[in-house]
Amino acid sequence: MPEQAFRFGRARHLVGIVGTPDIGRGGVGVILLNAGLVHRVGPFRLHVELARRLNACGYPTLRFDLSTIGDSGASGQSQSRTQQVRADVDDAMALLREHAGCRRFVLVGLCSGAENAHTVARADDSHEKLLGAVFLDGFAYRTLGFRLRHYLPRLLDMRRWSRWLARKAKQAAAGEAPAFSVAPLPQAVVRADLEGMVARGLKLCLVYSGGINMYFNHRRQFRECFGAVMADPAVTAHYASQTDHTYALGCDRRWLVGQVEAWLRRNFPTVHAGAS
Amino acid sequence: MTHVDSEQPFFFGRDGELFGIHHAAAVRGGRAVLLCAPLGQDYIRCHRLYRQLATALAAQGMPVLRFDYYGCGDSAGDSTQVDWRRCLSDTLAAAGELRRRSGAERVLAFGARLGGSIALAVGAAARFDDIVVWDPVIDGSAYVAAQDALQDAMRLDTRRFIRPRAWADAQGQWTGFAVSPLLRGQIGGLHAGWSAAPSLLLDSLAAKPPHDWLGVVADPARIRRLDATTPWDDLERLETAILSHALVQAVSDHWKEHAYA
Repeated sequence: MPEQAFRFGRARHLVGIVGTPDIGRGGVGVILLNAGLVHRVGPFRLHVELARRLNACGYPTLRFDLSTIGDSGASGQSQSRTQQVRADVDDAMALLREHAGCRRFVLVGLCSGAENAHTVARADDSHEKLLGAVFLDGFAYRTLGFRLRHYLPRLLDMRRWSRWLARKAKQAAAGEAPAFSVAPLPQAVVRADLEGMVARGLKLCLVYSGGINMYFNHRRQFRECFGAVMADPAVTAHYASQTDHTYALGCDRRWLVGQVEAWLRRNFPTVHAGAS
Repeated sequence: MTHVDSEQPFFFGRDGELFGIHHAAAVRGGRAVLLCAPLGQDYIRCHRLYRQLATALAAQGMPVLRFDYYGCGDSAGDSTQVDWRRCLSDTLAAAGELRRRSGAERVLAFGARLGGSIALAVGAAARFDDIVVWDPVIDGSAYVAAQDALQDAMRLDTRRFIRPRAWADAQGQWTGFAVSPLLRGQIGGLHAGWSAAPSLLLDSLAAKPPHDWLGVVADPARIRRLDATTPWDDLERLETAILSHALVQAVSDHWKEHAYA
């Protein structure tokens, strides 16, 4: 199995695994970003399964830990979160270029990984290195359509009303808890970002799961959230209502890996695509 | 050597199939520590804690090796290929690798859950000088029943799935990881009675009074109860990291106190 472990980066603070296909150097490199705080193997080892499948299809891969996640340390530099993510991904691209000969890349991220992939892809010059991105449960917003689909079936359900009232009473008694979270980008900004990515030639694949049904509940919501760009041929979108957020079942992981593989083959065919 | 440079990732073992991270110690002593990981989701949840423990032990002058068994983590193989006997032989290989890299004569071992069971099962063959375990699995059939129940509850959990999933979608897996019939049988047959015994057993199971551990540790003084219960099999915290400052402190202190034993 052609996988190599590296400590790399501008402060040698990052840890990652490069997987190379048997068919030689070059081609499109695929970089997998951390999902939340799970280290580079991914939730239920999803990133290992995906990386090895893509290697078998001819794509070099790098799964690595961003600064301070998993086995990676801090760079020691004073950087904003955006600067740090972009610098880490730059380091990752440099490693994959050096060891697999890749010059153009695709980012894959789940949840916060999708957010980080978006952070890199929205930069004005991202197309110089990036060819595309796979956003798994990336940005999403509750739309009017979401609310209708969510609340209408519940209107006449008295048990739900009583549970809602009980919950509200409990929350009122507990008082306001301090919240520590990163505010997501506004919907209009993300919509403009996606339009900008497509205008610069990036190919996008959005796969959203039933695990985020508290704010995303139908395939139509892609268009409701992001507008006409979702109809662009450069954009592929799937809504997998049956799966959970982190693909805990083997059959769901296999489905997802198949979707990503098919999207890559369609958009960035390798010379030897089909070798496995 | 900077802090991060002291943690070196690499592949080792037969055909370079095993992944490990070696934590070099700033000052070399005669002892090194092998960290035996648990399996499945416990491995993912404990990853951070294992790194913290390795950092703490290396700071005390003990080089540490963390590694992944075949079919786990970054090592070769897929989850369906995890085999208990291979886990044992991988642990032997890792102990040899640690001796070679660190130059240490004495190797100590730590393991949580099934990692603790592995450390005990292979303790004599690996010539571990000392073993510390944390909530080791000593009743395989009870463990299998608990994992089956957890998997069934997970597929029916409508906080995870919009609709309950079919049994066929979830069979042959334990909370996110494929489990072959072979591994299931091997773990189901586990029971206390290993030739090696731990010098310290850290207990954080809610339902286990200390006397349940006496098949592993004859001397109750070697059992220490951690204040906080660890939610190993709690579906609501299935994807929450297991962190325990008390555990890191207890293991570090134990091996500091027994440095000259």
